[in-house]
Amino acid sequence: MAEDVKPTRKNLMAIEDRIELSERGHDTLEQKRDGLIMEFMDILDQAQDVRANLNQDYERAQNKINMARAMEGDVAVRGAAAALKEYPEITTQSKNIMGVVVPQIESSRVKKSLDQRGYGLLGSSARIDEAADAYEELLESIILAAEVETAMKKMLEEIETTKRRVNALEFKLLPELYENQEYIEQKLEEQEREEIFRLKKIKAKKEEEEKEERAAEKAAAEAEAATAD
Amino acid sequence: MSQEIAVIGSPDFTTGFRLAGVRKFENVPDEAKDDELDEAVTRTLEDEDVGIIVMHEDDLDHLSRNARQSVERSIEPTLVTLGGSGGASGLRDQIKRAIGIDLMDE
Repeated sequence: MAEDVKPTRKNLMAIEDRIELSERGHDTLEQKRDGLIMEFMDILDQAQDVRANLNQDYERAQNKINMARAMEGDVAVRGAAAALKEYPEITTQSKNIMGVVVPQIESSRVKKSLDQRGYGLLGSSARIDEAADAYEELLESIILAAEVETAMKKMLEEIETTKRRVNALEFKLLPELYENQEYIEQKLEEQEREEIFRLKKIKAKKEEEEKEERAAEKAAAEAEAATAD
Repeated sequence: MSQEIAVIGSPDFTTGFRLAGVRKFENVPDEAKDDELDEAVTRTLEDEDVGIIVMHEDDLDHLSRNARQSVERSIEPTLVTLGGSGGASGLRDQIKRAIGIDLMDE
């Protein structure tokens, strides 16, 4: 706090430098925060579209598989599901948005043709194929959603830390620095006033002494004159 | 680095994804969800080959607080929930906290 600093001119200069730096940092961080929020808004719009699609696809896929289950029986559907050999893979690359690294997910082998599926053409029916198709589409939506939502999570984290930094500077560090600056300035002013007062005192004292000296000299001179007479 | 998609949920929920070729799945029957879902989620989170976890929104309620938080906040692997009231639940709270306004309000 304010009393921790020594009221010296050197400290005052150091504090002034720190204030300047902190204010510049504060402005920059504030700009970064606003920029991040703008970028976030863009992603949010995108995310809401993706979400809506995802829910639609999920409902469709559920309908299809329920149909397949009802017509073919649970065992057939599970059997077909267990026979699959090709599995979808995803690879992540990263993209940089204002210093936030967000993933870009690419998928391979999500969509498969009938013969790639591996459960055979004769043993299964069109309904299972349709269900598999619907779920493949759903997976594609999920991958898109994952990409967008991860980006959102990361951006939000960055926004939160930036906001915290801005607030720490604005409400904690800068007020403390200003307080210290004022404390030192006042102390220095007070010292200056004391110094002036001290000088005045000394001057007054000196004048007094000189006066006395002169009076003594005068008296001595008069006494000498008297004895000479 | 190539990763895979994992599905956690009741056998009914996972079957469809297996039909689409998802290899990694954790089957947790409905009646055992309160006891076993936590473990299944932790196991999947620790699996480095998993890039995306798919779960049903309602299943999140069966998770313990800790497991729920870690799976919702996890970035790698990232969680995608399906069904339920729509919208990623953890995300909405996070938006409210970070920006101060409920942007997902419709």
